Amino acid sequence: MSKKTPTTFWEKLGNIDYRWLYALSLVFTIIPILQPLGLPVQVSEPTIGYYNAIDKLKPGSVVAISFGSSLALLDEQEAQYLATWKILFQRHMKVIFYCTYADSALILQKHLGTMVKPSDYGYKYGEDYVWLGYAPLGEAGEASFAQNIRGVYPKDQFGTPLDQIPMMKDINDQSKIDLLIFCYTSCTDVEWPVRQWVVPYKKPTIVATLGCCGPMAAPYYPTQIQGFLSGSGMGTEIEVYSRNPGPGALMSDAKNLGILPFLLFFVLGNVSYLGKRFKWGQPKEVK
Amino acid sequence: MILSYFTPYDVFAQFKGIATNWVVLISAVTVAMGFVYMTNAQIKIYQKNKTTLQLAYTVMTYVFFLAFLIAGLSFKGDVSSPEYQWWFQNVYGNVGATVYAVMFFTLASSAYRTFVVSSIEAVSLILGGMIYTLRQVPLFQVYTPWIVPLGEWFLLVPNVGGSRGAVIAAAFAALVVGIRTLWGKEVTLEVSS
Repeated sequence: MSKKTPTTFWEKLGNIDYRWLYALSLVFTIIPILQPLGLPVQVSEPTIGYYNAIDKLKPGSVVAISFGSSLALLDEQEAQYLATWKILFQRHMKVIFYCTYADSALILQKHLGTMVKPSDYGYKYGEDYVWLGYAPLGEAGEASFAQNIRGVYPKDQFGTPLDQIPMMKDINDQSKIDLLIFCYTSCTDVEWPVRQWVVPYKKPTIVATLGCCGPMAAPYYPTQIQGFLSGSGMGTEIEVYSRNPGPGALMSDAKNLGILPFLLFFVLGNVSYLGKRFKWGQPKEVK
Repeated sequence: MILSYFTPYDVFAQFKGIATNWVVLISAVTVAMGFVYMTNAQIKIYQKNKTTLQLAYTVMTYVFFLAFLIAGLSFKGDVSSPEYQWWFQNVYGNVGATVYAVMFFTLASSAYRTFVVSSIEAVSLILGGMIYTLRQVPLFQVYTPWIVPLGEWFLLVPNVGGSRGAVIAAAFAALVVGIRTLWGKEVTLEVSS
């Protein structure tokens, strides 16, 4: 099948070699990484809600973190996570981490092992935080966890039965948990905590997700979820708002110029489309 | 499950707890099912395209599958062992991130090819999507400050209204399809099979 050669200006405009677009995108993304722009970030309402949901808890409150993060998408969310761990540890919350995705345990191992060490905040494992490892929960698993933690995680990540962990002695269901932070990468998963934690138990809940999933979390804000973070943009916002600098600033800088070729080609594509559709510059047909 | 929600009887709540635990177990078993389906798909792909390159792709799939399986089961600590961690951090993580990074380019080219104002629905989608996207970029927050409240308005007003309607409609549709399937009346299943 032969490819039709563009003849008009509008057709040529719509047939620019994609490699130019790719090259331009790459260059514009790299520039701010080499020479940061450091532009200020405006904090959005859901981010403030997310922060306030943690901030209003008393020290010693129990926060459960349903951690369903993917290593492939980590760049988009790592700023959110690191800032969240720091906020929780700075406010001396008791934290229960449980992983719901295969990658999550390894990400958490890296985070708590090297990037945000709980011991730096005076935390002791088993007394101030626990890590329950990985189980493929899904929505049904979330429901089970809320009803009977030991039914889903009889032991922690290191094989210690929960009954032998001081912090977990009186905790076996949602009743002793003050806040749920639900981290996920599949947009519709926001409904899981809403259906399994918020509706039956009215549990305060906040969520952290990808940039593209923000619009699907928004319908539940601020009634069902008190705040949400979506993508590296809001990851940067929570870093700024909580005064915990991290990798988000670099991501936002890269976005600053990286979006420009996208916009340029979006405009070119549309001008080409409209030019072809309305036959701009061509003599009108005589009926 | 429905009775546990709508009735006060403990027996239904207990059954719901047991059933949801089964789901966790079944989820684990589906990993093995996934292996069977993957093998089936790999065989079909190779049968359609019997080239050396395709054979290499197929073999590589199993090489890495076995590498991860062996690394996960052979060392002390299983998936927490340093060996498995090495494979995960240095191979799986980078491959996954690369796949998504490549999407950056495909998204940019799709903006050029398909993100066009061809209908009123497309215009509204583009308008909402663009403003929401640009609102998250500091460059636009600084030089076009009006985009911040406008972006939040799009996110929290029209998006919320539309999404809530869609969620309710989808929930009703899922309920209807579920009942039809249980009743053996759902023809789409027959057609697809």
